[in-house]
Amino acid sequence: MRAIWFVSQIALFGLIASRMINMSEVPDYFRYYVGGLSVMTLYSAAMFIGFDLYEEAEHGVFEYMLSLPVSRRQLVLGRSIGGGLRAFIYVGPLIGVSLYVIGAISPLNFLVSLLALFLFAFGVSGMSITLAVIIKSSDRFDVLMGVLDALIVRLSTAMYPIGIVQMANPFYGEIANFNPITYAADMFRWGTGIESMTLANPLLPLMGIIMFFGFFTLVGVVIYDKRIEGGGWQ
Amino acid sequence: MAITGAIINVVEHDFQNFFRYKWWLVGLISMNLADLFIMAVVYNYMVGAAVTSVYKNYFTFFAPGLAVTGLFASAFMIGREINMEMRREVHHYMLSLPMTRAQLAIGRVLSGGLRGMLYMSPLLLTCFIFVGFPSILQFLAIIAILFLLALGISGLSIAIAVSTTSLEKFITARGLVYYTLFFCSSVFYPLSLIQDLGRDGKFPAILVSFAEINPLSGASDMIRSFLIGYPAFNFNMVLNVLIFSVVFTLSAAFAYIKIIQRK
Repeated sequence: MRAIWFVSQIALFGLIASRMINMSEVPDYFRYYVGGLSVMTLYSAAMFIGFDLYEEAEHGVFEYMLSLPVSRRQLVLGRSIGGGLRAFIYVGPLIGVSLYVIGAISPLNFLVSLLALFLFAFGVSGMSITLAVIIKSSDRFDVLMGVLDALIVRLSTAMYPIGIVQMANPFYGEIANFNPITYAADMFRWGTGIESMTLANPLLPLMGIIMFFGFFTLVGVVIYDKRIEGGGWQ
Repeated sequence: MAITGAIINVVEHDFQNFFRYKWWLVGLISMNLADLFIMAVVYNYMVGAAVTSVYKNYFTFFAPGLAVTGLFASAFMIGREINMEMRREVHHYMLSLPMTRAQLAIGRVLSGGLRGMLYMSPLLLTCFIFVGFPSILQFLAIIAILFLLALGISGLSIAIAVSTTSLEKFITARGLVYYTLFFCSSVFYPLSLIQDLGRDGKFPAILVSFAEINPLSGASDMIRSFLIGYPAFNFNMVLNVLIFSVVFTLSAAFAYIKIIQRK
């Protein structure tokens, strides 16, 4: 389903929408959009781990996981990394398609951006796990994911450059400036050479991603530790 | 009277189910509004003359398309429920109800369409508030066409639901239908852009033709023609929706009756 979405976004939406965009604002919107699309797909895939927790809770697997001879910290770290890694494996071929469409890359920059995307995927998994154990209701989690997805993706540079977002609405621009999807999309475009002209210093988005990963891994461990016991899963 | 009563009962049952998904609906509507008030607002500053020379801005262009998108997504939900009923064998209970197969099938298609209309109403109102209000006659024409479209979508989703044996197959088929109908239409971009790409040989001619006869294009462009004055109204917009609606309403009713009896 996600692969169909991805391919149709590139072959249909990306191709036609790029025709609609003013070239003086975004010179090559098609390549720009394909870069952002890869990050959007990675985000959605990494978020899925939260839904798995509800399924495990529903089937009683959660209690089994708690009974394993591993600490809560190891459990949440393992799940974050596992969630991020499987998202990466899942999205890997789609990123390959993006690279084919986008074209030339600088190998070193690309490796750095790939590392950033790894951390981003782990961070998103950690965020998904943290939210799932806080909410403990699959319905509410489902809604929150829908709303979060709608806002976090649209208020980022996944679909449009930061300058345009700021021009459209300074408030949107402020949010987009502190959005992990912005950091990941900027890094991926930098790695693939799309944004090398506008993103002179990749250190800032890289730091943003590291902080995002660190926050949700550390906070995730603490919250998981506190909220995991006592049941109450709906 | 009894015939209508039975259909109303089916519609009532489906509406009760619809409201069980209230949280899902909240998520869906927030996504729709984010598309309009964030994505479309930002796109205003990026789109070129193809949009700004004819439509005031992208927001104005996209608002009618969004109402159609919302209608599509919500009218399609009935298919998921029917697919679930088939998998859990609830359809045996449905068949045991004191009503004819035709009443049951008509009720299901009708409720899918009505639910789509209900969900779409606030989006259409938002479109009117920001783009402009139509005359009474135009308003009635818009409602009639959107209702026909909703019936067709509901029919299409039911036809897919009863023809697929698992949720995965249903979701995959739904994805294919969703994205082909959405992206090969004038919901997100003017039809003229797709036709230009086709003329330049960058887009398959078959997809250009599909976009032209796509009922989502017809409905979106008809609302635009009434509210913005462009593209000019032509009868093909209505005809495309009408044909889609008749074909899928009838085929869904037929497939529903035949397939659920067989399983």
